[in-house]
Amino acid sequence: MDFYIIGLTALLGLYMAWNIGANDVANSMADAVGSNAISIRNGVIAAGICEFAGAVLVGAQVTNTVRKGIVDPAVLMAMPGISHQEAAIILVIGMSAALLSAAFWLHFSTMYGMPVSTTHSIVGAVAGFGVVAAGWHAVNWAKMGQIVASWFISPVAGGMMAFLLFKYISGAILGNDRPARAAIFHIPFITFLLTATVLLATIYKGLKHVIKNIEWLTDSRALTLSLATSLLAAVGSYFVARKKLAGRDDDPLGEQLEAVERMFVPMVVISSCSVAFAHGANDVANSVGPLAAIVHVLKTSTIDMKVPVPLWILALGGGGIVLGLATYGYKVMMTVGTKITEITPSRGVAADIAATATVLACTRLSLPVSTTHTLVGAILGIGLARGLGGINRRIVTSIFGSWLFTVPAAALMSVVFFVVGRFFFFDTLRQVINP
Amino acid sequence: MRTLIADLFGKSPFGPIVEHSKKVHECVELLWPLMEALVAEEYEKIRKLHSKMSRLEHEADLIKHEIRSFISRRYFLPVDRSDLVNFLARQEKIADLAEDFAVVLTLRDTRVHPSIHDLFFSYLHQVFQVSGTLLTAAVEFKNLAEAAFAGAEAESVLHLIENLGEEEWKTDKLSRKLSRAVYALEGEVELLNILFYEKMVIMLGSIANQAENAGDYLRVMIEKR
Repeated sequence: MDFYIIGLTALLGLYMAWNIGANDVANSMADAVGSNAISIRNGVIAAGICEFAGAVLVGAQVTNTVRKGIVDPAVLMAMPGISHQEAAIILVIGMSAALLSAAFWLHFSTMYGMPVSTTHSIVGAVAGFGVVAAGWHAVNWAKMGQIVASWFISPVAGGMMAFLLFKYISGAILGNDRPARAAIFHIPFITFLLTATVLLATIYKGLKHVIKNIEWLTDSRALTLSLATSLLAAVGSYFVARKKLAGRDDDPLGEQLEAVERMFVPMVVISSCSVAFAHGANDVANSVGPLAAIVHVLKTSTIDMKVPVPLWILALGGGGIVLGLATYGYKVMMTVGTKITEITPSRGVAADIAATATVLACTRLSLPVSTTHTLVGAILGIGLARGLGGINRRIVTSIFGSWLFTVPAAALMSVVFFVVGRFFFFDTLRQVINP
Repeated sequence: MRTLIADLFGKSPFGPIVEHSKKVHECVELLWPLMEALVAEEYEKIRKLHSKMSRLEHEADLIKHEIRSFISRRYFLPVDRSDLVNFLARQEKIADLAEDFAVVLTLRDTRVHPSIHDLFFSYLHQVFQVSGTLLTAAVEFKNLAEAAFAGAEAESVLHLIENLGEEEWKTDKLSRKLSRAVYALEGEVELLNILFYEKMVIMLGSIANQAENAGDYLRVMIEKR
């Protein structure tokens, strides 16, 4: 019986992960695919690898938040008149309801072409059932406050960082008398920044649940390792840049700028991959967070969730995302690839680094954020720095609209599913979950 | 969120701006064969050239409408929207004036007195300098969009616009010289011819003026944000 419940909820989680892969991943790779730096097929492959890696390597923290950070199981347990067993059952039903409603909402909005954040949906859904199941206090409002704040801060932070980065790139390289020469000098710094961001986010205080306790990988050693590798990458990029761009001082300005953009092409591929990595790390939680809670309760019959998220759950989520990407996300990437004519590799790199840094920072802070909104913020930041020919303000307003709408809608749906589920399945689960 | 990122990017006007500039310059260049036909008294050819000019001007108009239609108030542009619209209007005026010139030439089969042939051609050549400089500046706008409207590329376009001002000043001087030569023909030539020549001089001068004005808006777009 246990197995059936886990299997069913795992399928739900997989469905949600599939949706994420189908709709969201194309946005992560938008800068590389849109600027023609990479073919759509290769974009899909690269994205798949990076999403999976991000999910498995760094995905545990945000998954933990969705699992127990929003609705605190301990509060559920501490409610008067509820036995441990009953609290456990409520948690299982509630998390399933949340997952179902978030997946439903995503599917529904995709059908109607509305932009919806997977992160906003699942957080709203979990909070929704929490309030109904165990009252206002079941929800960790302090954490919720942090999360909602991060939803506003992440696009702004992404925007500011992208603005500054692009001001730097346009000022130091593109605006220079001799852009080719300037590029040779500055590209190593940019490479360093990119590599350091991804590595630090991954291994600093990081890989404990993947590779059990590598003794020598202390925090300070992780720091030095990241910085050293980044330095190596930077030096490598210097030599490559010098080879491709040297001796162009007398070329016409237009040609120099073109050559510099070509130099940014491999960089934007790497930077977009890092966005896919960050996306996998942050968004896998949307599909497997609730699943992790359910599996834990069923396996141990306790609500105490001090045990870390098991690796197979993260792998399941990552796999689901890759599946969604391979089956449906391909089509979406084709749209992205053909419709964007504005993005050049230099802009793409600035937006991607900003988005990666912001999303990975939030991931390490265990905050679920919308990767796509952060990327949108970054792109707007570049527009502000006069880097883009035009931005469609209507889309920006529709995003803000969907923000206000998604959380209550998902919460409401979750409440409905929860109440229905509790009515039908409470007694069935009594037999399964024994204290 | 399907194509959210893709939908975010609005169409850039900078490619079409270059298209518009090229089309307008084509109109201006048609003035040379027009002038040659007038001097050679090939009045039928003038009419043919006029229909060609009319078609080119219409094509430029279409490009301008296309640009204006996708720059609505809601677009987040890197340059000031009204400056962009004004720049296009001035550039469009150049094409209009060139077409008006062609029309005037078809209205009356006028004979140009041989003593002012060379002056007219050097004047037209100078007007071409002005129009050509504007075209170069507008074409460089593409590079400017890449370089985010700052730095060396911006400096070079601003420099070009200064050149534009100088060329327009030279045009003014030549225009005065030509006008004096025209009025000196008093008594030798029909009065109506003299007035006709004057009209031609003024119209060509307006083309250069409008080109300089367009350059002004280019400058403002680069410097202002």
